[in-house]
Amino acid sequence: MAIAAVDAFARLARKVDSLMRGLPLHTPAVEAEDVQGIVLRGYGSLPYAAYPLLRFSDRKGARAWLERFLTRIAPGRPHDANAQAEALQLAFTPAGLLALGLTHDELQGFSSEFLSGIFGPHRSRFLGDVDESAPEQWRWGGPQNTEAHALLMVFAKTQARLSELQAELRQSYVAHSVSEVHVLETAELSRTEHFGFVDGISQPAIDGYHQSDSRLHKIKPGEFLLGYPNEYGLYTERPLLDGTRDTRGTLPLDAQGSSRRDFGRNGTYLVVRQLRQNVPLFRETLDRLTRRPDGSSDEEAQAYLAAQMVGRWPSGASLLEAPYGDDVSKARSNEFRYQALDPVGARCPIGSHVRRANPRDALPPHAGTEYSLEVNRHHRLIRRGRTYGQPLPHGQSDQADRGLMFVAINGNISRQFEFIQHSWLNDPRFNGLHGQADPIASASNDNQFAPSPKPVSAYCTGLPRFVTVAGGGYFFMPGIRALRFLSELSS
Amino acid sequence: MPHQEALTIIAPVAEEREAELAEVMRALAANPAQNDVLAFGALPGCHFGRVLHLPASRDLSGQKIGPQLMLLSDCDGSAQKHLKQLVDVAGPGLDRLFGSCIDYPRQPSPANRVAFLQKRVQRVKAVYVHRQGRTVEQIRREAELRDALVSFVAERHFDGLSATAIREQIIAHVRTTAPLRWALDPAPGIDASYRIRNALDALALPLGLVALGPVVVPAALLLLLLVRLQEQTDVMQHGRPSPELVRTLTELEDFAAHNGFTAGGYVKPGWVRRAAVASLLPLIGWGSRHLFTRDSLAGVKSIHFARWVPMDDGRRVVFCSNYDGSLESYNNDFIDLVAWGLNLIFSNGLGYPSTRWLVFGGARYEQEFKNFLRRHQIPTPVWYSAYPHLSARNIERNAALRAGLRGHMTEQGAQAWLSLL
Repeated sequence: MAIAAVDAFARLARKVDSLMRGLPLHTPAVEAEDVQGIVLRGYGSLPYAAYPLLRFSDRKGARAWLERFLTRIAPGRPHDANAQAEALQLAFTPAGLLALGLTHDELQGFSSEFLSGIFGPHRSRFLGDVDESAPEQWRWGGPQNTEAHALLMVFAKTQARLSELQAELRQSYVAHSVSEVHVLETAELSRTEHFGFVDGISQPAIDGYHQSDSRLHKIKPGEFLLGYPNEYGLYTERPLLDGTRDTRGTLPLDAQGSSRRDFGRNGTYLVVRQLRQNVPLFRETLDRLTRRPDGSSDEEAQAYLAAQMVGRWPSGASLLEAPYGDDVSKARSNEFRYQALDPVGARCPIGSHVRRANPRDALPPHAGTEYSLEVNRHHRLIRRGRTYGQPLPHGQSDQADRGLMFVAINGNISRQFEFIQHSWLNDPRFNGLHGQADPIASASNDNQFAPSPKPVSAYCTGLPRFVTVAGGGYFFMPGIRALRFLSELSS
Repeated sequence: MPHQEALTIIAPVAEEREAELAEVMRALAANPAQNDVLAFGALPGCHFGRVLHLPASRDLSGQKIGPQLMLLSDCDGSAQKHLKQLVDVAGPGLDRLFGSCIDYPRQPSPANRVAFLQKRVQRVKAVYVHRQGRTVEQIRREAELRDALVSFVAERHFDGLSATAIREQIIAHVRTTAPLRWALDPAPGIDASYRIRNALDALALPLGLVALGPVVVPAALLLLLLVRLQEQTDVMQHGRPSPELVRTLTELEDFAAHNGFTAGGYVKPGWVRRAAVASLLPLIGWGSRHLFTRDSLAGVKSIHFARWVPMDDGRRVVFCSNYDGSLESYNNDFIDLVAWGLNLIFSNGLGYPSTRWLVFGGARYEQEFKNFLRRHQIPTPVWYSAYPHLSARNIERNAALRAGLRGHMTEQGAQAWLSLL
């Protein structure tokens, strides 16, 4: 009873906290015309994309280049998917912002994860970027690679248009002392990733932009855009500049009323990781683990084990709603909660990939309650990944390079991307498990996985690492006005 | 079965010998479990241990506080007995560790080592234990039991059997396997003498409130009002920890299932805040002993042991805990689950995010709170865990597995029990 009283008090304290904060009662509308479009949509109508990494060698040239392309950086509004044939988006590394003329002091307003970067002794260990995924071996973004200043994202309706655009861009680089450090290629847009599963189903709906009533997916804009209240009812830390830096008044004022200019508003952080998928190894492992007693392959068992590891069927249907076989009619269903239907993972294993990447209501403080959903909302990502490399037809094997060009959008890299990667995917003790890191994406080379208990779990052991990291970076994607401000800087 | 106690030793260090101490600390840090200074792994019943070298500092009025050496451990049974074992096990190693402390015996013997340490034991009232009575031995054996049962189950085929039938087979296996048979007995309860003392202790607070209520309640309200007045002038500090400090701290983090957390800071100036700390720490201790006794500190289930150590006549407080997972997730638990409880005590510390009425606000200012904790964190290279591969949830599940070897279970209950494997 005393514990219940303490609980009730804690609930009251949280209520009082949000009331005392004096925030506007309604979430402010997202200024979509100032947000780069990729935050709000995945450009499904533009199936071809490439992401050049750029480096500036001359400040003036860089600004002139930025000015030249400024009007072509696609905002979130207006938007006409039918008319749109291309879209450019632009994000920077800390070095890139310095190259364009932000000062070291001004840079301190950005998050410390962005400033210290995606690799380092602790961070690499934390993210599981070790051994074959170590940054020293990356193709881009690592300590051995040329440091990029900017990530340009080029989307086009046709392959021809994409090539044209890239040719035009390359010409523009020459005139402005911009160099192309590396290009991240993607394959023609497909909803299915290389292991054979529809990907990117569960996306947050941004409160103040997307229409949604979902208790699960409707998330405050501040979780994905700086300058808006987040799920704590607070403004995430962001770079506020002195008024004197912005004599033309290009930047918006700080929404919190400090009279400073908000360089961060409508901007966000991008986590980009090139995740190489070893498809032959994945299929061999499934085969090895599901052989019949006579040693023959069992394709049905392989499909079931793969679905157990993912937590969804290839169509995207959740194991929660389709426990015994794929069901296309459930493919888009995404409002399910785990606790009531499946507290011990009898349908969808506790350790399955999607149940870890977004546990919904399944974790403490009180699984199955609004309270757990509230906590879960602090750890969401907008995902804009696209595959790269050619799909491997069934029954074939090769050494080709293929995988996912993972792109996640979040306002707080530490609480969102890094937390999910470390505490939910890589932690072998996630949610009370013993020795089970994520069966699909973990960093472990000797992993275990417990499929749904029937009624005992038959552990799969010796799971190798199917996904390795071949490059990565943290980028800041400014709002449109902040881009203009950068191009106008004169010092 | 013994209960758990916290041993806290604080000894002033002779300033001219700090370099020597730093050297010994490095030797100790290389492997806190096994070394020739103080092998925590050789201490019977030691759950967690750490040694801290606090450098000299100046308090808020500019008065100097000399360097100090702290030894903290969480042990099975009385801290007094544990201290004697410490001297037995480490003996001459302690001479090296405490040799740089003021007044350490020149010709150390077992007796005067004990006497030296005993004199420097700090009685700490606010101590949290995840589950009273669960010993190191029990935790380790139950983890072994789980491994053995997982292997047993992996070798068998249970096709078509009900959960209750499988459970019966598992129980039969335990019964017929001599090294596992102990698991059929219930985990021993805590010593009767402790339980009696604890029950009296539990009554002390409500009885005291009834007896002294007419004085204590108005005094507490007055104190709260005074705190509220002082809160009005608190200034929110936004500063980030220095990148160097963050690097030093993170390079020690995230190797095991859990981390050791140590943070220290000054209590805000004035008697009001000091009185608040002095009256709240025993309350937190009482709550930990009598309310938060079952695997959760006011909702946070990832802390194995924690304690708040008042230092330097109440001018400073050092907080130590052993928590599962990363600091980010620990912080998030604090903010999401028990912000009010942290505010209660930490808001009396200098630089803490603004609170209202002692419990509101504070830790709910996510970024300021996270920065505050990092800024006040003390690197703890000498930190030991007796079960570095087990989270608190793991330990609970292992205990539940063992408990489920006894008694009747429905099919549903047996299913849930099997899912622990």
